[in-house]
Amino acid sequence: MNNQIGDTDTETDTNVSTDSGTDSGLGATAGVETSTTTTAGESEEQVRDEWTDYRFDGPSKLTVENLDVWYGDDHALKDVSMEIPEKSVTALIGPSGCGKSTYLRCLNRMNDRIKAARIDGSVELDGMEIYDPNTNLVELRKRIGMVFQSPNPFPKSIRDNISYGPRKHGEINKGLLARLFGNDDSEKEAELVERSLRQAALWDEVQDRLDDNALGLSGGQQQRLCIARCLAVDPEVILMDEPASALDPIATSKIEDLVTELAKDYTVVIVTHNMQQAARISDQTAVFLTGGELVEYDDTDKIFENPESQRVEDYITGKFG
Amino acid sequence: MARDEFQRELDALRDEVVRLGEVVSTRLRKSITALDSHDVSVAARIADADSEINERYLDLEQDCIDLFALQQPVAGDLRFVAASFKILTDLERIADLAANLAAYVVGAEDEVFPDLGLTDLATTAVGMLDDALAAYEDGDPTRCSAIADRDDDLDGRCERVAQQVIRYLVDRDPDADELELLLTEVTRVLLTIRDIERIGDHAVNIAARTLYMAENDDALIY
Repeated sequence: MNNQIGDTDTETDTNVSTDSGTDSGLGATAGVETSTTTTAGESEEQVRDEWTDYRFDGPSKLTVENLDVWYGDDHALKDVSMEIPEKSVTALIGPSGCGKSTYLRCLNRMNDRIKAARIDGSVELDGMEIYDPNTNLVELRKRIGMVFQSPNPFPKSIRDNISYGPRKHGEINKGLLARLFGNDDSEKEAELVERSLRQAALWDEVQDRLDDNALGLSGGQQQRLCIARCLAVDPEVILMDEPASALDPIATSKIEDLVTELAKDYTVVIVTHNMQQAARISDQTAVFLTGGELVEYDDTDKIFENPESQRVEDYITGKFG
Repeated sequence: MARDEFQRELDALRDEVVRLGEVVSTRLRKSITALDSHDVSVAARIADADSEINERYLDLEQDCIDLFALQQPVAGDLRFVAASFKILTDLERIADLAANLAAYVVGAEDEVFPDLGLTDLATTAVGMLDDALAAYEDGDPTRCSAIADRDDDLDGRCERVAQQVIRYLVDRDPDADELELLLTEVTRVLLTIRDIERIGDHAVNIAARTLYMAENDDALIY
């Protein structure tokens, strides 16, 4: 569902400075020559291909090859290649300005909406190139849904928030014409609303007030409503951009449980600033670092117990960033 | 560097674990001296002074739990805290075994087996402990395998000494009274050998956790 454009942060603050000379003494690990660090405290280190060559069993849902993004002259994402396994949770982590949200938005062509953005490379969904000029963007974003940092329900009833997308896609017919032609889908709509809300673990809390305005829900409920709204059009991939960062711990844990549950049926890609959250809920983690580089991509336990890159180690242990 | 306080806590944990290790090592050396000189009064003091080490061990274990809960260490920091947590247990066990060795000296009736070389065995074990602690303190993976190799040698020597004792018992063909005394002494000596051998095992554990901590390599962890 493509209705939630609000996040136009272009992540252009690259903190790289190669001449800072502020060596903090970090990163001197065997086999990696690290003599300087950036102003962010990041050590200089050459990314090795094998650090991002993640192998997994089962099919890949999204295949990204040599993806570059520029915002004007700023090279925001540099030659990222990554395969995302089907029906799993992939976390994207990294400091502000590392390109992780830019990358997420490339996966359903949200960056098309930013005029200054130029994108080069390939993203395939089930082997189909999404940057093909003939791609139907409405259909694409139906297959690859998105949930944003701050919940943004429509100022409509809870029910309408869910059924809006399917109605726009012509999957539910309601109203005068439908009734005249005898193909009123009210029952189908009710089923869809209940199923979507149940999937988003919200049904029990709202089943008695489906006609209330969605803006009267709590922040955590609104976010789950947005997830339900995303699920209502039956997507295959769900992109989440810091979906719990504006929520309290209880609401956050509900979203996290939900993400784990959704990964049984959907491919979830989630950007988070909360490293413990990435560790808790994801199957694999991709670490982007300053300069728009994908530095390491592997099983989540590998990343958090024994990363290959010294810069990744320094970042996740909180030594810079 | 960010997370300064956290880094200080990690450094403090390392220092405290090493200090506890030194206390345990000193305790063990005193036990060996008592074993060598049959000094019952020294041995009795060591055998009764284990509670202080137990308290320190519990405090440091709690520090590890606090670090896990409050700082959520990852990667190298995680492996360091996890390794320290395990190493603390080994140190506490070694302290128990040092107390055991001292208690055997207190209980010894006579010097039935004068020349078994038990103090040499124990000195090897305490040397392995010191080396393992030094490797841990420096985060040095290169010394860990050598400690495991020395343990294989120590195990062999312990076995040979134990066989020597059994053979002595069989060859001696004692009468009933002497048998009574001999059985007590043989048991004491065999327990001493077993505990020395176990000290070596705990030293290997410390080396194994140190290798894991430094290199994420579990090769020495059985």
